[in-house]
Parts: sequence; structure tokens; C-alpha cells
Amino acid sequence: MKSIRIKSGFNIKVSGQPAPEVQSLQKPTRLALLPERIPFVKPRLKVKAGDTVQVGSPLIEDKRNSEIQFLSPGGGKVVDVIFGPRRVIREIVIQLDDEEKQVEFESLPEIDIKKIDRDQLIRLIVNGGLWPLIRELPFRDYPSPDTVPPAIYVSLGNLEPFQPLPEVYLAGSTELFEYGLKVLGKLSADRVQVCASRTNTAIQRQLNGIITLTYSGNYPVHDPGVLVYHMKTSTEENRSWYVDGQNVLLLAHLLKNGTYPTRRTVALAGSCARVKKHFHTRLGAPLAHITDDRIDDSDIRYIEGGLLTGYAGSAHTYLGLFETALSLIPEGHEKGELLGLFRPGYRKPSYSRVFLSALNRENLEMTCSVHGGDRACIACGYCAQVCPVDILPQFTYKAVLAGEVEESLEHGLLDCVECGLCSYVCPSKIELFETLKNAKADFYKEKMA
Amino acid sequence: MNIIEKFFESGRKHFVEGGRFAKLYPLYESIESVFFAPARATRTAPNVRDNLDVKRFMMLVIVALLPHYAFGIYNVGYQSHLASGLSTGFFPAIFTGLKVVLLLVVVTYTVGFFWELLFAVVRKHEISEGLFVSCALFPLTLPPTIPLWQAALGISFGIVIGKEIFGGTGRNFLNPALTGRAFLYFAYPAQLSGDAVWTHLCGGRTAAVDAFTGATPLSVATVTERLADIQGVLTDAGYSAAKLMLGDYPGSIGGTSTLLALVGAAFLLILGIASYRIIFGCILGLLATAFFLNLVATDNSMPYLSLNPFYHLMMGGAMFGFAYMATDPVSAAHMPVAKWIFGFSIGVLTVLIRVFNPAYPEGVGLAIIFMNLFAPLLDQIELKFRLKKRVPNV
Repeated sequence: MKSIRIKSGFNIKVSGQPAPEVQSLQKPTRLALLPERIPFVKPRLKVKAGDTVQVGSPLIEDKRNSEIQFLSPGGGKVVDVIFGPRRVIREIVIQLDDEEKQVEFESLPEIDIKKIDRDQLIRLIVNGGLWPLIRELPFRDYPSPDTVPPAIYVSLGNLEPFQPLPEVYLAGSTELFEYGLKVLGKLSADRVQVCASRTNTAIQRQLNGIITLTYSGNYPVHDPGVLVYHMKTSTEENRSWYVDGQNVLLLAHLLKNGTYPTRRTVALAGSCARVKKHFHTRLGAPLAHITDDRIDDSDIRYIEGGLLTGYAGSAHTYLGLFETALSLIPEGHEKGELLGLFRPGYRKPSYSRVFLSALNRENLEMTCSVHGGDRACIACGYCAQVCPVDILPQFTYKAVLAGEVEESLEHGLLDCVECGLCSYVCPSKIELFETLKNAKADFYKEKMA
Repeated sequence: MNIIEKFFESGRKHFVEGGRFAKLYPLYESIESVFFAPARATRTAPNVRDNLDVKRFMMLVIVALLPHYAFGIYNVGYQSHLASGLSTGFFPAIFTGLKVVLLLVVVTYTVGFFWELLFAVVRKHEISEGLFVSCALFPLTLPPTIPLWQAALGISFGIVIGKEIFGGTGRNFLNPALTGRAFLYFAYPAQLSGDAVWTHLCGGRTAAVDAFTGATPLSVATVTERLADIQGVLTDAGYSAAKLMLGDYPGSIGGTSTLLALVGAAFLLILGIASYRIIFGCILGLLATAFFLNLVATDNSMPYLSLNPFYHLMMGGAMFGFAYMATDPVSAAHMPVAKWIFGFSIGVLTVLIRVFNPAYPEGVGLAIIFMNLFAPLLDQIELKFRLKKRVPNV
């Protein structure tokens, strides 16, 4: 078993971790698909308000490739299609009915995986609407169905704060997971890397002999982009594919049972969540259904995804297709404490050593406050110290802002794993993460156009 | 809501959009944010941000400088009373020192803040805290006899030409405080060099009492004719190693105490604000060069060549410059190896300027400015090497 260790990166010591317990939630009354939150996709609506849909009916297709469709997570009636600025499709809301009819897909018995033609297997996944769960480095779009990947990385666990634990969502589903791995093996000529944390003994016991790669070190060493960066020997490997562990279960469910999977295991956490644990709920469930009465405060940010990479939702929005965590932390709209500038800061988490919290081993509460005004870069070098793939963000972002595309690529822009640490540590509060991420996406769109 | 918060809230309406002093918002913001961190939540990912901001970063450098001010105030007063034949008691000395140093600090900050505010208002950005560090460093490098108008001119040059015309803190390539200091040195050499300027005379005196020489250790070392015994010369002039370390001799206001500079450097290193690569690089460069000069020195060569390397470190403002000026992250080299070279070269140049150019008894300031100019080149060279090692991803 190979093992990767990184010294860079950073673990934020933030309080509010989810407990490993899990609870199944009742069926919600509404579900939604959030096309806005699916990266790169240009959605074309296939339904309108008032239409009746089944579990697995197509809701949108991608204009770039109309084979790729996104299916309904529930059965019932489309009650609303909500648009945002410039007609971006935000939500397609479905009112569930009692019976929830299911679209029948072709199922694939386990013994047939070896025999089935690769193209036919891809056809099954694409028809089942789950091809976009497979992502391709370095841009993290879904791969073109007719390419063969150098490898597929299956990531179990995520070191970003408040993500669901792999041993929780895999509990009782080991067989299904192994089925999924066989499918991925077929797609990549058996070059599948199953990656888990070296220190997570629970998952290693549960998946004895299945894990092929362990990692240790700080966030974001779990990220396939980081693992590829530290293992690659050729440029070809930069095109590796990856699938989140929980999404392997969805793929396996689709192929094994011939129905569209609906279960999502979500971690509810953060200092404003009164109950911090895992929940089994539905894909596209309303956030209010997950939080229910399990919140404490009023001025709360609902973060879908992760503290660093996630986006802000609200009590009125729904779970995105890729999101498996809901973190509730204070918005942090208030001013800082009186003369906080001069206080030792024993409870103020920081990457630097300028607060007394450097000696504090506890997990500390965090808010969404920026903690400072915008300044020019003072070359402290923290961003380069935390970057897990050795980019020098303080130079690269200047190259990006100057329009020097070639230079930024030379700096390793495409190696960026979009972990958000550079923006997190920046004392000048420069939006390094956003700048680099957008530059990467722009480059991709230009390349594709 | 306490009184201070109320005070700021009631004043806010005049400074925001549509208020009477809307243009002066940077002024309001910079004062308010000293008391309260700004109320600002993230709008994009990452949702959470580090508690550290530039204000805290810079404030801690000023904290590290405070002991230099305390010592400088005492030392200016003490030397002044010594030279004027007055009581050298603690309180009279402090009182005289305060009069000199406080005035200088007030003038420096007023003028410096004026320029920063002017540029902030015109460019519509917030006031950057680098200014406060520059204005704290600048008076410490000056002789106590400096006329106030020259100090005002010097800091103006440092802030405007050294920093603002390039875009303000973070976009400058020279250390602003040193730029101002160097400008004064070349513009008004009469007030910034020679033995007389380092002691402030008081009580209506125009010349020091006979027993007082006022010569700094650097000038003693430069002009001595006695061969092969330079430490003896210094000791005879009253400069024992302990005295050099402590810094209670005539010199710039804050730069004489090597001991305090070492303490300050340790403080900044523990907090991770100053780069250890630069500081150790500087010290290594200085010691190595001085040692090398010792090796080439003969019985008949210039006595300065045979000075103990550690004396070089203890004399004058070398350690002060290494700890606070060379480590200015913006104007220093940014890459790790480049930082070592940057620091080492400063140490080398400091000794070379001191020993071989008697016109400039203290070389550290010029050495730092000179290396500031080379820092971008060092960075580019290291960057090229580093980028070559990457497995391309295009």
C-alpha cells in the first residue's frame, strides 16, 4: 500500500465537529435540483412548472453535450423553477407525492461487470444521469465519456472541517461500495486508487484490503489533486479522474438496482448546530428539513460543502447535488471586540503565531468575519507556505491579474486544487483563491470554446 | 453599547457616502479600526478567514520598537546632560530626552500621516498600516540634534518617493524609512554626520564640556592611527564590549542598543513576523566578512581590518538595521533562498562600507537600500529555478 505525506497544508482548529452517530430523517415534502451549483454545466430546461416527474426523469440537460442529463431526485410535481440574475437557473423545486414512481433503468448484475463492453457500461451510467459524479482533473468538470483515464481516485474522507466520515456513510454498504469499485475498474482498466487517511483505523478495518493509498498530513492532503501532484511522474496523469466515496455508492446503486439513487448522508455541524451528527436524507433535500429545530442562533450562515470551499445557502434553499455537509456558523457581521487589536487572543485561531492561540490546543469557535480590511500584498509568504501543491500564490495571482496566462500556467496554476487555504491565511485579505479558481475556469472555457 | 462604540457610531454618518466629510473616510476608518476590527463578513469562499490582519502584523513591529524608544529617550537625555555638564540623574535625563524625542515623533507622524491620508483619499483606499511602522522607525535612525523641518522633509521624501508614488505599502521596493534617512544624509550632510550631531546640548550651551568627546565608536574605529590594537583604542575611548552591547553612548536615537535589537529580533522571530533567513543571513554575512578582513589584515594595514567581528555587530546600528529594516517583508527578497542571499549580502556590504569608505561611518542603512534594489532580481532567479522543477500541467 502506497502512502503519501505532505508537510504543507493546514488544519483549522475549529469547534463543532459532527459526531459519528447517524439518524435517518423522514421524507421531506419538497426536493430540488440546483443547476447553478453544478460547475461548468450550461443547463437547458427539460421541464416546466406544473409537469409531473418520476424519480429519475430528466430535469435539465447540458447544452455542451445533450447526452448529459441531470435527473429528478424525487417523484411528484414540478412546482417552481426559480431563476436568478441573468436568467441563471437556481432551483427546480419538486413537490413530492406519496407513491413516487420510479423510472426503470437497465440493471447490471455483479458478475456481468467483467463481461460488459466498456462503452455499454458508460452508456448505462450516462443514461442513469450519474456520469457527472465522475470528475476530471485538473479542471474538475465531468470527463468526456469517450476518453480513458490514466487512473481513477476514489477519495474516502475529507479533511476539510465538518465533512461526513467515510465509516459512517459506508456502514452496511461495503458490498455496494465494492460493486462500485469494480465498475470504476472497468472504466479505467483497473487503475483505481482507493484513498483513505492513514490515521483513520475505523475505515481501514471496515475496508480491509480494499484501500490502495493512504495519506497523512494536513488538509487538503485527501484531495485527489494533491495526491496526483505528489505521485505523478508524467504530465498524462494530470488528467486523472476522481469520484467521492459517497458518490461511488450512488453509481453502484443505479447500476445494481436499476433505479435512480436518492439517499444522501449529510453531516450537520458547526458551532450554531445544536445537534452535530450525520443524517440520512434525500438528494436535494431542503436545508431547513435537515436543520429542523436543531439550530441555536438567528444570524447564521448555512454553508453547503465546507467551511473553506463551500458556498452560502439559506434556510430556504436545498442541498446541492455534490454537497454532503451543512455547516452552521455565525455570520460575524458584528464589529470586533474593543481594542481587540491589542489583546493576546488566546481564543482567536490563526495560522500565524501572533496570537496566544498558538499555544491553545483546543478547537475554537469561528465566524464568517473577514477580520480586517483589504490591503496590498505585504509578501508575508504564508500563502506559499500552506499551498499543498507548491504554487507561489503571491506571485501567481499577480501574473493572473496582469493577464499573463502563460506565466501563470508556468507557475502551476492548473495544479491548484482549489482548497482555499491561501485566501484563508492572507493577512491582507486578498481573494487569492477566487482569483486563481476563476483564472483556471476561464482558461478551461477558452480552451473548450 | 459602550461609550467608545457610541462615539464612533455617531461620527460615522459624517464620513460615509453623502456625509460632510465623506472624502475623509480613510481617516475615520483607520482610527475606528484601531478600536474595533471592521464589521465585515466574507462574501465568497473561503467562508472563514484567519484572525490575523495587516494591522496586527504591523502593530507588533511597533511593540517591538517601544523598548528602543524607552531606551532612546533615556540615552538622549543622559548624553545631553553629560555633555552639558548637568545632573545625570534618571528623571532629569528622561525629561530632556522626552522633549527631544517626543517632538520628533509627533512631527514625523503628523507629516507622514498627512501624506498617507492624502494618497488614500485621492486613490480611495484605506490607510495602510505600513506607514505607522515607517514613522516609528524613522526617528530612531536620526541624530537627536536633527532640526525638525529636516525630519519633516525626510519622512515626506521617504513616504512619497519611497512608497506612495509606486502605489503605497506593498508596492514599494525600497524601505521608506531608510529612503528618507538616506535622502537626509545626502541632502544635509552637515546635520547628519560628524561627531557633534549625535549629542543634543541643552541649557543654552553651544559646545560640550571639555571632558566629553562625543565621538561614536564607529568614528573612533575609522580614524584611529594606532596599528594592530583597535579593541584597545575603543576601550581607551570608553567603548568596552559591554558598553557597545548596551548602547549608552552618543549615536542615533534608537539604533545604538544592540542588546535591545537582539531582544526585538527574538520577539519578531518567535512571532514569525520577521524572517529568520534574513536576520541570520545578515549576521552571518557581517561576521564572515569581518573575519575575512581579520585574515587579510597585517601589522601595517588599516587598524579597522583587524577589528573583532563581534565588535562589528555590537557597534552602531548594525543589529537595529538587521532586525527591523532588513526584515521589512515588502522591500526584502520574497523567496526563501533569495532571503538568505539578500541578508548575507547586507552583512557583507555593511562591513565593507564601514571599513573601506570612511565617508560613511555606518554602512548598514546604505547596504539595506542597495540590497532592496537587488531583491527582485534574486527573487526572479530563484523563481526560474523553482519553476523548472515542476512537472508541467498544461
